[in-house]
Amino acid sequence: MSDSEKWAWWTLGVVALTIAAYGALVAFLGHGPATSAVFALLALTAIPASSRRYFTGTKFDEREREIASKANRAGFGALWVAFVGLIMAIYFVKGWNATLTVPAWTLMETLWWATTLIFGVEAVATIVLYRGGPHA
Amino acid sequence: MPSREPEIANHIRRFRFEQGEMTQEYLAKQAGVTRHTIMALEAGKYFPSLLLAFRIARVFGAPVEQVFEYRGNERK
Repeated sequence: MSDSEKWAWWTLGVVALTIAAYGALVAFLGHGPATSAVFALLALTAIPASSRRYFTGTKFDEREREIASKANRAGFGALWVAFVGLIMAIYFVKGWNATLTVPAWTLMETLWWATTLIFGVEAVATIVLYRGGPHA
Repeated sequence: MPSREPEIANHIRRFRFEQGEMTQEYLAKQAGVTRHTIMALEAGKYFPSLLLAFRIARVFGAPVEQVFEYRGNERK
């Protein structure tokens, strides 16, 4: 298993842990600004085995760069789809002339969810592409 | 119906064998890639860039067209 795959599995684990912790916190404390604190767990994605490569100066080769680039595009692509889906859902649920009033912390939480989504999709895409065919 | 996938075959495994069973690790180091990429190349899961193809051919001391073979994208 390559270092990039190890990073992907680690990241997937961190994302799952974050979602579980978020669910648990909301269940016990209710939904509020404090629940955003669980997203600090995402910082764990910075300490996978692949980080050793940076310290030792080893660079990604062309295949790894290609996979990382595709996985990154998949992550941001998923974010775009989610963003469009969210906007459309709001329009359909609230109506075209509705006015939304949301607390500021929900905007920050939206950013954290976006980060979680990007990490999750990027990790899955990395795993899939490493096991994929000629164009992986 | 013609296949749209271009197929580039390679003879890396055979060349390694012919060169005293050169290890994937050694070839990877000489070509400047990871062993996983050599494994993917041998398994036909990855098509190398022109630069990498030339690097690998140089390690074997053979012309690139002997190590890599373009089989075209149309099957009859």
